[in-house]
This record gives sequence, structure tokens and C-alpha cells, in this order.
Amino acid sequence: MKIKRRDFLKVSAAAGAVATLGIPKLNAFAEGEMKKDLGTAKGEWMPTTCQGCTTWCPAEVFVQDGRAVKVKGNRHSKQNDGFLCPKGPISLQQLYDPDRVKVPMKRTNRKKGRGIDPKFVPISWDEALDTIAEKMMKLRKAGEPEKFMVMRGRYTYMRDTIYAALPKVFGSPNGISHSASCAEAEKFGSYFTHGYWSYRDYDLDNTKYVLIWGADPLSSNRMIPATIKRFGDVLDRATVAVVDPKLNTSASKAQEWLPVIPGTDGALASAIAHEILVSGLWSREFVGDFKKGKNLFKKGKTVDESAFEEKHTNGLVKWWNIELKDKDASWAEKITGIDDKQIKRIAKGMGKAAPNVCVWMGPGAAMHVRGAYSAMAVEALAGLMGSIDHKGGSMGTSTIPVNKIPEYGKYQDELAKKHSKMQKIDQRGYLELPALKKGKSGGGVVTNNVASAMLAKDPYDIKVAIGYMNNFVFSNTGAQIWEKALEKLPFFAHVTTHASEMTQYADIVIPSTITMFEKLGYVKAKANGYATCTLVQPVVKPLWDVRADETEVVWDLALKLKEKGFANLDDYLRKEYKDPETGMEPTNGLEFAEYNLKIQTAPLWDGKKDVGGDKINGWQAFLARGMWNSSKYKHKARWGKFKTKTHKFEFYSETLKEALEKHAKKHHTDVDGVMKVTNYTARGELCFVPHYEPPFRHGDEKNYPFVFIDYKSRLNREGRSANAPWYQEFKHVDIGDVGWDDVLKINPSDAKKLGIKDGDMVKLTSVTGTYKLKAKLWEGVRPGCVTKCYGQGHWAYGNVAAKDYKKAIARGVNNNEIMPFDIERLSGSTVRNGGFTGIRVEKA
Amino acid sequence: MKKQYAMVIDLQKCVGCGACAIACKSENNTQMRQDGQSFNWADFQHEVKGKFPDMTHTSRPVLCNHCSNAPCVEACPVTPKAMFKTDDGITMHNDERCIGCRQCQKACPYSQETVEIGQWSVISFNKAAKDTHAFYRDPSELIMAGTASGAEMARRTHSIPPYRTKYSHPEFEDVRRSGIVEKCIFCDHRVKKGELPFCVEACPSGARVFGDTQDSSSEAAKLLKKHKAEVLKAKAGTNPNVYYIRSFKVKT
Repeated sequence: MKIKRRDFLKVSAAAGAVATLGIPKLNAFAEGEMKKDLGTAKGEWMPTTCQGCTTWCPAEVFVQDGRAVKVKGNRHSKQNDGFLCPKGPISLQQLYDPDRVKVPMKRTNRKKGRGIDPKFVPISWDEALDTIAEKMMKLRKAGEPEKFMVMRGRYTYMRDTIYAALPKVFGSPNGISHSASCAEAEKFGSYFTHGYWSYRDYDLDNTKYVLIWGADPLSSNRMIPATIKRFGDVLDRATVAVVDPKLNTSASKAQEWLPVIPGTDGALASAIAHEILVSGLWSREFVGDFKKGKNLFKKGKTVDESAFEEKHTNGLVKWWNIELKDKDASWAEKITGIDDKQIKRIAKGMGKAAPNVCVWMGPGAAMHVRGAYSAMAVEALAGLMGSIDHKGGSMGTSTIPVNKIPEYGKYQDELAKKHSKMQKIDQRGYLELPALKKGKSGGGVVTNNVASAMLAKDPYDIKVAIGYMNNFVFSNTGAQIWEKALEKLPFFAHVTTHASEMTQYADIVIPSTITMFEKLGYVKAKANGYATCTLVQPVVKPLWDVRADETEVVWDLALKLKEKGFANLDDYLRKEYKDPETGMEPTNGLEFAEYNLKIQTAPLWDGKKDVGGDKINGWQAFLARGMWNSSKYKHKARWGKFKTKTHKFEFYSETLKEALEKHAKKHHTDVDGVMKVTNYTARGELCFVPHYEPPFRHGDEKNYPFVFIDYKSRLNREGRSANAPWYQEFKHVDIGDVGWDDVLKINPSDAKKLGIKDGDMVKLTSVTGTYKLKAKLWEGVRPGCVTKCYGQGHWAYGNVAAKDYKKAIARGVNNNEIMPFDIERLSGSTVRNGGFTGIRVEKA
Repeated sequence: MKKQYAMVIDLQKCVGCGACAIACKSENNTQMRQDGQSFNWADFQHEVKGKFPDMTHTSRPVLCNHCSNAPCVEACPVTPKAMFKTDDGITMHNDERCIGCRQCQKACPYSQETVEIGQWSVISFNKAAKDTHAFYRDPSELIMAGTASGAEMARRTHSIPPYRTKYSHPEFEDVRRSGIVEKCIFCDHRVKKGELPFCVEACPSGARVFGDTQDSSSEAAKLLKKHKAEVLKAKAGTNPNVYYIRSFKVKT
């Protein structure tokens, strides 16, 4: 009989002294057992999309025996060149997370609150849907369908049936998106200068100067893998300057770091603009020139508007006269903490590299209490450089020619028609909440105001709510307000993959598919000058009885509503979502998802019209390839036709003036009146130009001498990965952080004054409360500031994310509890940056 | 001429993002940190110099150095050795012959017998008489019958870990058993098939260049000729085959 070495080892291990016992004997078995096969076992790369951030990278998953085992970028993708950032592979532990919700559940403890066990018990899908439909129908019977709300977090573009059609056909205006938690103030900056309410792309391949402002594109924000791939070469070819009060990865590699005092970004931008103008370094091609050729921009001197002839811009001299003329580098040094020589160096460097300059504006420049104007000020620098849409500069997006969902208007009954037009719950468009998306009063969502409005029952109370792919109790600043609002919400159904913080308040829990691996849908993405339509696909079969939030769940709910006498939604889904190839009506949720996807994406694969970009021959080919690339964005595509009032790049924003005046008129006041209630200091003409607003701060300097800096983890997957052990293990790739912990970073000079040593526990107090955290001494943060990465601090979600799920003990502290609720009111944006949170730090 | 496989890491290109290290865990099915072992075949070390604002931060990817003069090989008491050099210069580990004596771990200047969080070791040891991947053997449920458990995930996928990448190699297993050491083997199961190590394939920055330094036409050899390269603990005399070129912060 042959003795297997493993058996032998077991014996010797049990006997101990493995190292010294029996080695010669072991070696007698060493030969002749080599396995002959070599290499990776059979498997298949299958296309889908990574939704770990808003880059939305086309991806591929390697599937062996029906299991997802590794990931990479989609080989066809021109937006990420076939690569993913670290958020990609972490997704595997999201899919195979032991803490995933696997069945529908209901709460059996009526009491709701943080730390109160909901006592969830499993129920059938039928009971879960029946309960939700019953609660909804009560609202219709009472004639108050507006009291129903759908809250959406991350989404695919299959979103419009659950987010728009469901509430509207039912009779509620309340489809509430998360959008204002992310970037609306940033979009405000680009919209009211050049008519672009979206993220910009950047032409890193041809750039000579990159000014990154309040962002770390190597970690988060936009086009991450494309940026990572190019950054090393960009550093050889171009100057990279990074504005951020704490060192971020981009800054750690760059030639220039400008650790600006939080919230003074507008002053720095104004000073850079001033120095560019007095040095005569603006783009003649884009901006124009003085009629007599001589530069009249001199510090302190008003310039005659008629002396300058503009080309593609509007109001340069007005901007100079109203805001810039006195604001030179030495003025800004006192406000921003940035050396005047460095400010001049940046202005000159940019000017010399113009127009091949990327002005990369991120949320840190914008999401302040008074951030709308600093966002405009930073974006205005791109105007001066003539780098908007220019080779080596920032870019807009190519169109993605997909179809909208079918019209649902005719399925709305009288009640629905009337009530779905009511004021939305977020109070958008109120005098103090202009939310001027695309220039329209109340045009955009004010996500973080929903909780306050629910508590105030203004404009009315919400009685029944559904949330999907969101965790507003964790992801909104002033998170405590959301806890209260959800405690008081009479009925809440959460469609979720995990028992998150928000789920703790749910009456019904609906288990959802994981978008990257188990769901059918698509997203419209762009990066690196290419727009992409990329599919999310069920590359593996769900392990549990989970269903896709945006499609199957809506289908099932529509059926339930029909059973209870309201057939309109079901009718809409059956009649309007026929397979565009066969004309067949969908008969179940999966078919509905497929036909819906086919309807929307048909122009990309049906061959009826040349839509540019990749040529894809039919539906099956689209599924197999997983994505469509547009042709490359054309430089100068928008020159002469910016979507502003003047069709020019507006340094003096006629577009904003009109929007503010309309909003003021609606409320029978003037623009100054709007400024007052929206917490801005500007009055008169200053309201219409990019300018510096002094930072607004919760907590006075005496009692709260530090300011808090929030930023995103490069591993966050938008807050869905903290329960993955790999997230915790590699937390130290967020520079200055440590694994399996959540540290408050403080400059060693400040720590010394407070008697705090590295690793000490500290008490951190803001206006919202007092929290205990471990201190990390870190030279990468400006003295007077403390900083912590957003992502940790979960008190639910799972047993890795939380220290103890059952006892609701958090691992660290959620930044959104430390930071109070506030809103940049002109855009509706949640405030996260700009030094608005005063902090006191004490040794614990 | 005999091959010498090596990794050249361009620190200017590297952004310290962690994609390589996490991809390695998915490729090689390494278990989660436990019992004072990291099981990270690839990881990072960080260094801060200077004071605000004149400071530098460097993230440095680390992995087995596949030393030409490998102390771990020398220390291995098994005959033939469980830790040995292949003809193409990889420091290879044979899982069958390993007796778990950990002499290699003690001898390697880049390894430690016990690591704390924040520390790293080339060689990790799978504790004897204890099943590996405890995370996917844990039967406890967060919400009774409402959520899964590690053990249930493993049962449903018939796999530990559930995302186990199955591969074969004559020397090493895709999931290691208890009682033996493990470390980076340059993904020889891929290299032998003409593929790159998975960390190289997964790196979005192009910082990791794998190749034969004895072949002057290889990208790795060219980079070493072009740039001055550093190795870790050069004084230890191990002659590492993982090289670092340029600096994390661009030289100005």
C-alpha cells in the first residue's frame, strides 16, 4: 500500500516537532507524484460593467463552474483601455458576502431606531409584495397617492420604470434620486459658465498642464483607470498641480501641491485668474484680445469694457472689474494659506501651457455651503485658458443614441395625473432652495433635504416609501436626521443586497441582485473622450431567490397592484415593452427586463441607422461584446454653440442671471433676497460672476478650532464594499490610513500641542456630537485641519463593516455623522467640503 | 543562457492603488489575514519623509523578491528542497514536500514569523491542524435564516473560497492546505502558459513589468538598462529579482 505524504504529515503534525522528525523518510516519497496538467482550469470571460464608482467601467468576469472568480476591464473598451482600478476585484467579495440578504423579510419589532433589533424574519415573495401593494393601495383609496415615494441610490439606466413610471402612474411626484449627494454644485460650475450640466472628460494624452482641484482622480471622481494608466507619462510631459488641503495620491506624485485652507478655493481661483490676466496669458484664440493689443489688466485698475473684443466668451472685463482687479496673489496668500510665489508660478505655468490645460474641477472645489461660485471660479480658469473642448484640455461628451422608455402618460388616471404634478417632497424650488439644475428653479433634486422635509411634513407627510440601491441613513451628511425621519416613516420597504443602516428601519426587506454580476441592464458612461454604452449582465446565476430591483421587482409589484384593483402599471409594462424583434409581450419580470433593455439600446445594434462608433451586428453580438464605444469626442465641438444664454463661455453669467431672476420673481423678491436666504454674501452684480465667498462654518473657531476634511476611499465602491474583508485589509492604500481601522489624521505639530501621540484615542466634537476615534499623526494634512476618509463607521451592513452588527457597534465613525446637515442651495447639493465642520479634538 | 524572470516596478507609474494586490488574492485564493499571518503575496509598504507641506509619500508595491541568492532556499531542510530555484529563476515552492517547519520564513529577510496589521511578510504560514479560509467555514448568520453565512456560501458554490480560481501546477496547489508555508510564485501556472502574472495583467498603471532579464530584448531588461534600479535590503546580499525604478513622486 502506498502511503500518501499528507497522511504521513498529519501523523507527524499531531506528534509535533515536524521540523526535525522524519525528514529523510518524507523525501522518499518526493518523486513521481507530479501532476501533469498545468494552467488555469476551464472558464470563460464574460462582459458586464463595474459600478464601483461613476466611471462605470466596461468589465469582464472570469467564470468557472458558474462562479465569478476574477475580473478585468472589457477588452473592447476605449474608456478604460481594458483595465479596472482596485474597486473592480473587491466586487467579488460583495457577490460572495456571507452577510448578503437571501430572502424577503419583514420586521416583527414595531419599534424603530438605531440599535433596536428589527427582529427580521423570512417571508415569501408573495407576502412581501402583497404587503407593499396593500400599503400603496391605501394611499390611492384615501386620495393621497403623492404620499408614496421611491428613493433611488445608484442605478442603471433601467431605472426609469421604478423611478419615474412607477410613482407617476401610481400618482406621486416623488421619485427622489441621490444625485445631489454627489456632484450638483460641481455641475453648477460648468453649467453656469459653459452650459454643461455634467462631469467633464479630460484629454490627458495631449495635455501640458493639469490643474486638479478638490479631487483625486487616481482614487475616485472620474475616469479612474484611464487616469491611472496615463498619469506616469503625464508627469514626464506636463506639470501637474493639485489643490487639496490634505495630501492625496495625485498630490503625492505631482510637481505642485497647493494645500489650500478649506473653503477658500474661490479666493485662490480668483487670484490665479488675476495673475493670468495681468501677465497677459489668456487664450487669444478663445477669449479674444484688447482692440489695441495692449494689456490693460493692471492691479486695481478698472478697464473699459469696450476696449476688449471677445471671441467665444462673454463678460471678461465685467468679471475683472467686479471681482478680479484687486485680487492678486498676495491678497490670496493671506486668505488661502498658499504662498503668493506658488500662485504666480501656477498662473504662469498654466498660461504657458495654454490651451493644452486640463482644469480638473472636483467636489472639493464645489460642495461648500457657498460653493456654487467657487465651482464657477475654478471652471472659469478653463475658459481663460481656452482649454474647454480643446486638444489637451477638458471635454464634453459624445452622444449615446439610445431610446427613452415608452411613454406612460396614457396609463395615468385622473388621480395620478393630478397628484403626480404636486410639489416634490424635497422642497426643490422653495425660495431658500432654488436647486437651479439647468437653469430651472426647482429643476434639480435636493436629496439631503428629504429627511428634514419628511420630519416637518412640508409640503406633506410621506406614508409609504420604497428605497433601492441606497443607504441614505449612512450616505447623507447629518445622518442623524435621516435616522429620525425613517423612525417616523410609517412604512418603508428596502430593496437591498445587505442589511444596511437604512434597512434597519425597513418594514419589508426585498433581497436584490448584485448589479455587476446578477442583473441585466445598461449604463451610459464616458471617460477619456469616449462615450460608452455598457451592459450589466447576469454573468452568474444568483445563489439565492433575489430579484433585480429596477425590473423584476417593478414587474412583480405591478402584478400585485393589479390583483388589488389597480392595473394601470401592469398594463403599461405588458403593452409598451414588447420585444422589438418579435413583437412578443413580456410574460414575466426577466422577459420584461430583456425587452426593456432591447427597446432602449436598439439603435446601437439593430443596424437601422448609422449611429457612429462601434458597429454591432445584432442583439446577440451586443450581449457577447457587452458594450459600444462612441467615436472619439471632437475637439471644439461646442465652440460657438455653448448651451448658455449667449452661446458663449460666460465669465459674466447671463444664464445664471436669468435663472436667479426667474427664481426671485417666482417668490416675489429680488436676487439679493435670494442670496440672503441661500446663505450667500454676494449682492448685486457679484451674483452673476465667479467669485470668492468666505467659507461658512458650523461651530465657531473658539470652541471648534479645527476644521474637518472629508474625502473618499479609493476602495469604496460607493459605500457598498466596507463589508468585504479585502476592503479592510487594504485600507492602507488610502494614503495615511491603516488596515482594519478608521483613523483621524492630525498634523504632528497640532498633535504635539494637544499631547496626542500616534495611535492614541481622541475625542472629536462637532456641532452634531462627540465621537471617539484613533488618532494617526500625519504630515499630509494642513495644520488646523483634521481629516478622515469616508467609508468606515458602519453600525450595520454586516459583521465585517460593523464591529458588532447585532449590538449596532460601529467600526470607526461615519463622517456623515460628524458633518452636520447643510445644503449648497443654488444647486441643491449636499455640502461635504469647504471647511464647514468645526471640530474640537481632545485626548480621550 | 538560463532565464532569469524578474519584475521591474516603475514607481512613477505606480499609484499605489492596490489593484495588483487584490487581484492576486482573487487569482491565488489566498486566505484572509489570521493567526499573525497576512497571506498577502502582494502588498504595499508606505513611507513618509519631511514635514508639511514639504513632504513626500511613497507607496511601494512589495512581493517575493525571487532572490538569486535566496536564504529561504538555503534554509529549507527538505531533500529535495520544498523551496527551490527553478531553471528560469523563480523561487518556487512545492506544496507536497513542505513540512511546515518555517525555516524559510525565519531565514527570509523580507519575512516575519508574525505580522501585525500594517506589516507584511513574503512568506505566510498556514497554521497546522486548522482548516484554511475560516471565513468561509463560519456557520454563523447575521440574521437568522435571512442572511447567508460563510459556510453556506461555500456549500452553495461548492468552493472555498467561493471565488476560487481553479488552476493546476506540478509544484503548488491553487488553495493551500494547512501546515505549510506559501508565497508568491510569480504565477508560474500562467507564465508557463505564456501569460503574465495576474498582478501584472491587473495593474491599471503599467507599472509592473515582468520578463527575462537575461534577454536583452525584453522590456524588463531594457528598463533596467535605461534606469538606475533599487532593490529592497540590498545589503542582505540576496540579489533580489524585483527591481524598483524612478520615484513615486515625480523628480523635479
